[in-house]
Amino acid sequence: MLAGAWAAVAYFLWQSRVPGGLDLPEVDLTGRIDPDVIARSKRYERFFRFEFVVSELVLIAVLLAYARWGIRFARESAAGRIGTGMLLGMIGLALVWISQVPFRLAEVWWDRRYDQTDAGYIETLFANWIELGAEFLFICFALVIVMALAGRFPRRWWLGAAPVFVGLATLFAFVFPYLSATEPLHQPNLEAAARDYAKQQGIEPVRIAVEDVTDFTSAPNAYAVGFGPSKRIVFWNTLLDGPFGDGEVKVVLAHELAHHSRDHIPESIGWYALFALPGAWLIALATRRRGGMASPAAVPLSLLVIVLLDLVSLPIYNAVSRHLEQEADWVALETTRDPDSAAGLFRNFTIESLNDPSPPTWSYLLFDSHPSVEKRIAMAEAWRRRGR
Amino acid sequence: MAIPHLVWFALWTVPALVAAILNWFAVIITTRTPRPFHRFLSAYVRYTTQVAAFLWLAANPFPGFVGDNRYPVAVEIVEPRAQRRLVTLFKLVLVLPALLLAAILGGGLTFGGGWGDLAAVAAFLGWFAALVRGGMPSGLRDLAVWSLGYGAQLSAYLFSLTDRYPTSDPNQHVHDPPPGRSVRLELDDDGRRSRLTVFFRLLLAIPHLVWLYLWGAVVSVAVLIGWVAALVLGRLPEPLHRFSAAYVSYAEQVYAYLFLIANPFPGFVGGSYPVQLEIDPPASQNRLLTLFRIVLALPALLIAAVLGYLLFVIGFLGWFAALATGRMPTGMRNAGAAAIRYTAQTYAYTLLLTSQYPHSSPALLARPEPEPEPTRFPPFTPPTPEPEAAA
Repeated sequence: MLAGAWAAVAYFLWQSRVPGGLDLPEVDLTGRIDPDVIARSKRYERFFRFEFVVSELVLIAVLLAYARWGIRFARESAAGRIGTGMLLGMIGLALVWISQVPFRLAEVWWDRRYDQTDAGYIETLFANWIELGAEFLFICFALVIVMALAGRFPRRWWLGAAPVFVGLATLFAFVFPYLSATEPLHQPNLEAAARDYAKQQGIEPVRIAVEDVTDFTSAPNAYAVGFGPSKRIVFWNTLLDGPFGDGEVKVVLAHELAHHSRDHIPESIGWYALFALPGAWLIALATRRRGGMASPAAVPLSLLVIVLLDLVSLPIYNAVSRHLEQEADWVALETTRDPDSAAGLFRNFTIESLNDPSPPTWSYLLFDSHPSVEKRIAMAEAWRRRGR
Repeated sequence: MAIPHLVWFALWTVPALVAAILNWFAVIITTRTPRPFHRFLSAYVRYTTQVAAFLWLAANPFPGFVGDNRYPVAVEIVEPRAQRRLVTLFKLVLVLPALLLAAILGGGLTFGGGWGDLAAVAAFLGWFAALVRGGMPSGLRDLAVWSLGYGAQLSAYLFSLTDRYPTSDPNQHVHDPPPGRSVRLELDDDGRRSRLTVFFRLLLAIPHLVWLYLWGAVVSVAVLIGWVAALVLGRLPEPLHRFSAAYVSYAEQVYAYLFLIANPFPGFVGGSYPVQLEIDPPASQNRLLTLFRIVLALPALLIAAVLGYLLFVIGFLGWFAALATGRMPTGMRNAGAAAIRYTAQTYAYTLLLTSQYPHSSPALLARPEPEPEPTRFPPFTPPTPEPEAAA
């Protein structure tokens, strides 16, 4: 019955505005993008695929060792059961951070080589400390909830913990727009288009903000955040100041608005909820032999399980994400009715961000959270043909 | 009154610096300080320490001009011994951490942090106290002596009179144990530090700092209520005392952890820890002193602020030392513990946990409690038999 309810909710969440059986036409990329740029983007992204595989292997090796011997760090604690669990959780994150430092530096080196960033190596390391501090705080908070529940309900804690984490994810999704440092948009034509598109998509106008990311990247991007009164669309300044035409920026605007009009953020929380419950159950199951999550001894092992679950669920997560992005692309085409600008935008993504326009299938299924540039251009073409 | 000495100090400093440079070469070549240099530079170190002691009110007599040892603040400098060449060669680099510490702790007239260092602050407060009481409070005097002792060791090290690194351990400089207080500190630490937790110490302390902040917000309300209650009742109610005492104890454990004075991750509600505070139960307090508590606490808060900077510098320097050696240097650990104890006493005084003013002596060993007076019993008298009832 539980599985049936799960499947029913998943089916409901999977519903999309993209017409069923939409046939994407073949696209000749070399006719649209300089072959040298395509080759360059392929070289650029090949490195990240390799780096991802190696860094995941190192991460798992480190966490395997930590799961085996991490309990020794309990000697460094004068805190009680939960406090010791928090310490072990933070030390685990610290080890993960250390193990990933070389890869982070390698990424910066590669990005600099391809003019994708001006960030320095030291700067990259220090910028991550703040992020790491926030992660430390988060893991402590999460462990307080889990270990307190597990102390009271040793075998059924996951039933209570999953809804709590879904609640926290919802709270975070709501609050996040208020936390990020952005400036209001000062482009009257774009603001007017935003009002017009919102009306077309059947929602109230959404606030638009600009985020200055010049210090760490030159890649263009935009994203939709928040829900209810905290709804926002955030443009990176690299997109507004880049070589993108007015029509192309408007496609981005319509795409991000579509995330709000199609309730993609609440839907994403719904997907998270669907996976949080079995995920928490698997963690409970895996840590039982270590005394369950009530015991600090189980914390290092739980970190390993979380990372493994993350890795296993990555293709599913990316499939859901691509599905939502595809719908946003389609709604954007219906809103702007400008497939040329859409195709031009996706073409420019390859030129500016060096997105491999047609990645290998295995890589696409495993790593890509957005449809490939080839598929996005094909969708613009499909929309044009249906419109004829 | 100190002006002639300051002039003489300035005049003497020039040849002393020249002698120090020549001595540095001599030690590198021969491993020993030549006797004339040793005599000259030792006299200079003694003299500057004595002038600083006079200026900072750590001692009363007007010092002599030749740096002999006939003065209440005595400086003993060992006879010339073989020194390590490598240490001497890199002395100017090796001394940097000690100079950084001296900027807060005090480095005497030559290397001190001026009016911001601990001795100067002790002197500033001591000046008022001495004017009123006709004597320097022993705690402030000991604080100045600690600072002067460190300054003397630093000068001797830098002038290559010795290759032994200056120690900030208060027990090495102040020999009079502090009097017993209602807020005491028990230190039970073996100096060992885990390099991994040291490296991430600041991040690991974040949950504690957040919790401390939240707890502190509640304590500030409790203190207000407690202040009114203490004015009415003449003592802090037991539950409020317990609550605030637990906070002070926890706060000091968090600082001890953050600044590497202790190794284990502390609990979130206090509990047993290598740097452990003992706070006496509530006692009756003078209502007038309670009324003006925040004003009366200002001098202690000033010293606590300087000790807070000292703790920060100790944490900073100790971080490198503990990462390299896996241990916290005993001197810095003890200096940090002294700073934590004083801060705790100041908190306790400000939060009305005690009416005893913080004692600023940095020595960690407490003066033994006076032997209790033997209980005197009345002379033994055999019980007198009850008279038998008359028939």
